[in-house]
Amino acid sequence: MRTTLSIAGVAAFIFLLATIPFSITITEGNLVIDFQVILFYVKDYVASIGNGEIFHYQVGKSGTYNLLADLPPYFLTSLQYLTLSGFITICMSMLVSAWSSKSKREWVKDIIGFLGTLPDFILILFLQLGVVFIYQSTGFKIAKVASRSADENAFLLPLITLTLIPTIYLIRTLSERTYDVLAEDYILSAKAKGLKKRHIYMHHVIRNVLPYLKADLHKVIAIMMSNLFIVEYLFNVRGLTTLLFGGTMYQYNLVVNTLFSLVLLYLLIYWLLRLLILIMERVFAHG
Amino acid sequence: MGNWRLWLGIIACSFLILIAIFGPFFAPYEKDYVEPTGYYYNSSDDFGFYTSPYPPSKKHLLGTDQWGYDILTLLLYGAKYTLFVGIGVAFLRILIGGSLGIWFGLSNKEKKKTKQSIFGLLGSIPAFLIVYFLLVGITINSSLSVMELVLLQSFLMVIIGFPGVYAATYSKTSELRKEQFIIATKALGAGKLRILWKHILPHLRGTLLVMFVKEIILVLTLIGQLGIFNLFLGGTIFRLGGGDPPVYISISRDWAGLIGQWRSFVYDSQWILYFPLLAFIFLLFSFYMLSRGIELKHKSTLQKFPHI
Repeated sequence: MRTTLSIAGVAAFIFLLATIPFSITITEGNLVIDFQVILFYVKDYVASIGNGEIFHYQVGKSGTYNLLADLPPYFLTSLQYLTLSGFITICMSMLVSAWSSKSKREWVKDIIGFLGTLPDFILILFLQLGVVFIYQSTGFKIAKVASRSADENAFLLPLITLTLIPTIYLIRTLSERTYDVLAEDYILSAKAKGLKKRHIYMHHVIRNVLPYLKADLHKVIAIMMSNLFIVEYLFNVRGLTTLLFGGTMYQYNLVVNTLFSLVLLYLLIYWLLRLLILIMERVFAHG
Repeated sequence: MGNWRLWLGIIACSFLILIAIFGPFFAPYEKDYVEPTGYYYNSSDDFGFYTSPYPPSKKHLLGTDQWGYDILTLLLYGAKYTLFVGIGVAFLRILIGGSLGIWFGLSNKEKKKTKQSIFGLLGSIPAFLIVYFLLVGITINSSLSVMELVLLQSFLMVIIGFPGVYAATYSKTSELRKEQFIIATKALGAGKLRILWKHILPHLRGTLLVMFVKEIILVLTLIGQLGIFNLFLGGTIFRLGGGDPPVYISISRDWAGLIGQWRSFVYDSQWILYFPLLAFIFLLFSFYMLSRGIELKHKSTLQKFPHI
């Protein structure tokens, strides 16, 4: 019941959000909200389900394309980037937070924290400038600065960006949690029993940090989704989000369908990462 | 030097505020000054053209952009928009979200759990996208004045951001409410306002201050992300060039807008992109240092220590 309700809520939100560019306009210096327009577009969308035009979209002036045929490659590209970076993020952050939690050096926290406050677009622009700088001074091309054609997407730099930002966020939260777990009594008693450090980490620390990771997962994926927009835009990667900004013309059906696919993408990533955590639980907690 | 981070943060932030207020007086050129394109002729072997963009030189400390505008001048003129909108929006977010959070945290209302699942799904639509949809029809080639647009954009950024502040203060307050000293005061017959003023606020002051500075950074990030998608603070001029790619120009010259409008200068004339980026990073760095300084100052003395 609750899931249906929330899905309905999100659907209504998407329908409303996509009408905003039409319904809120400025005429003669005044902000005007036109509710008629909202109704018109939502009705139009529902009507287009019946006659099958729901998946039609236009490119340029003449071409009408079918979104059902064109969407999957875009979707898969985004899915690929997100899955890969999600997996790396979780594994890296578990490893690093175990190490950094015990570090008492404030400057380490300073640097990690400052990297965490740097927005995605600044990181991307610096990566691009850096690659160009190295190329111009040494002639060595490390990675592609941006995709030029539809067939070959820039891979390394987008992946670095998509991984680095959520990893830093997770390291910051998880290292605090690891610190708390390390101060618990059962760690002391395990140490008193003479268990090896590695054994304590594998069987007690990781197991007790994983629930926090699970609780933070929504936030992590939300950060990644937000990064995805900027990454695909600046690196010119042909992913799902480019459908929203690609054309010169704003098409209601296209935007609504893309937003729905984004929600689907979100859910898919969420369950994939949950699966990864489940496997980690099996390995570390029960193995 | 006990808390050098705090001092560094305070000094850097005051420097930025000074620039924001008095920047235009220090600017080497007028706001609309364009370095002209020309030619030189010394001898029959030594002649040629000079055109913008001019690289950094004595005449133009940070160089000029592709039309010949002096970058330092633009940065000095635009600072006030970026800085004051960042501070103002963050302040309003804390004021509204914080007071609501404390008030409802003190009341006995329990949080509904259904909110959580909807919130989870909405994570798939980032905040800046919502603001993007709201602004895309309004900002580009707008008929509103710069000030009206800045106010409208700030208003939207307050609305989109204050629920987060509300949730954080709400949970902090309802945690605090369970403390013994609050229960004791209640038993002694203190009213809600007294508890709020004398017991909750002194405890939350440090947290709220840190949250305020962090919120400034979040607002600046949001402005920057919108700038990447050509929605600049104070409005965007959009021109279709014949044959050339269309250009987007920031009217107010705010720093995020400058980064947005020059973001394609990655391959050549990099100074055009480089200096606004550095200025923006310095802005973030100053506020970050300030927040770290305050955080360390208020760090609780009751700390646990790890056993291994």
